[in-house]
Amino acid sequence: MKTLGHLIIALAIAPATLSAQERFATRNGHINFFSSTSVENIEADNNKVTSVFDASTGAVEFAALIKAFEFEKALMQEHFNENYMESNTHPKANFKGKVSGFSAADAGKAGSYSVDVAGDLTIHGVTKPLTTKATFVVNADGTIKATSDFSVRPEDHGITIPGVVRKNIAEQIKVTVDLTYARM
Amino acid sequence: MKRKQLIAIIAVLLLTVGATYGYLEFNRGVAGTASMPVQEKVTAGALLADFQADEAAANQRYVGTTEQVVEVSGTIRAMEPLGTGITNVVLETGDDLAGIVCEFPDKEVPAHWRAGADVTIKGICTGLLMDVVLVRCVAVVNK
Repeated sequence: MKTLGHLIIALAIAPATLSAQERFATRNGHINFFSSTSVENIEADNNKVTSVFDASTGAVEFAALIKAFEFEKALMQEHFNENYMESNTHPKANFKGKVSGFSAADAGKAGSYSVDVAGDLTIHGVTKPLTTKATFVVNADGTIKATSDFSVRPEDHGITIPGVVRKNIAEQIKVTVDLTYARM
Repeated sequence: MKRKQLIAIIAVLLLTVGATYGYLEFNRGVAGTASMPVQEKVTAGALLADFQADEAAANQRYVGTTEQVVEVSGTIRAMEPLGTGITNVVLETGDDLAGIVCEFPDKEVPAHWRAGADVTIKGICTGLLMDVVLVRCVAVVNK
């Protein structure tokens, strides 16, 4: 995922035609995923999600290391990495897209904004389009708290779940994203 | 009769042992970093340099195929308590845009640690995003 790093560097050295106040980033975003079935619940958290958001263009990217998802049970974490996500081959998940309904002017006004997000989500090396709604809360200190939730089908991203455990994992996995951006 | 009883007892014992093992294994929590063996010892600068030079090779060496502990030494660039039970300790690498981010449970961060201190940290290396990320970190206390 050098793209995200290059985006950071490009934004950092971009000419002053863009106001520095329009670029936001975080290294501590939170993603939770939750699968609920009658057999068991499976849940994991990643507190090391990085993301960059450019309020002037709406461009947004986030990236997450698969091995940074933490489970309560070691066996779930091992199966997740080794059997399902194959994280040695596909160490990261990322999203690249655009936010609409939120302008650079909005980034300077405290308040809550309902926005649309559309882009490409890559998991397990397979990219699929994703559209979802999100809420951007601009705080008095200039930070932006962005929250969203959406569902992902493992099979859409080439993740094979053996028949013997298929009923242990939900058809649709609920993903919750929670990022607090600070100005770059 | 006695032989059949003995076989039945052994079978029940084996089933009990097997079921107990299965239950414990299913519910096994993640291992504590402090008790896991260290696979690699490296300085913060060298760790970042290795990832920037060849990310795939660095993933093989430091992230590994299963969880492995990396011991990193360096100078604290910043302490970032997140208010969520987590504190990031960021180590200096010589690169202004990238550091070694070590995620600690708040209670594992030594109270005397400050920016500028030379420290040694053990954690599970998960790879490179903007920074090299280590999770489930603990401080290495030099005796």
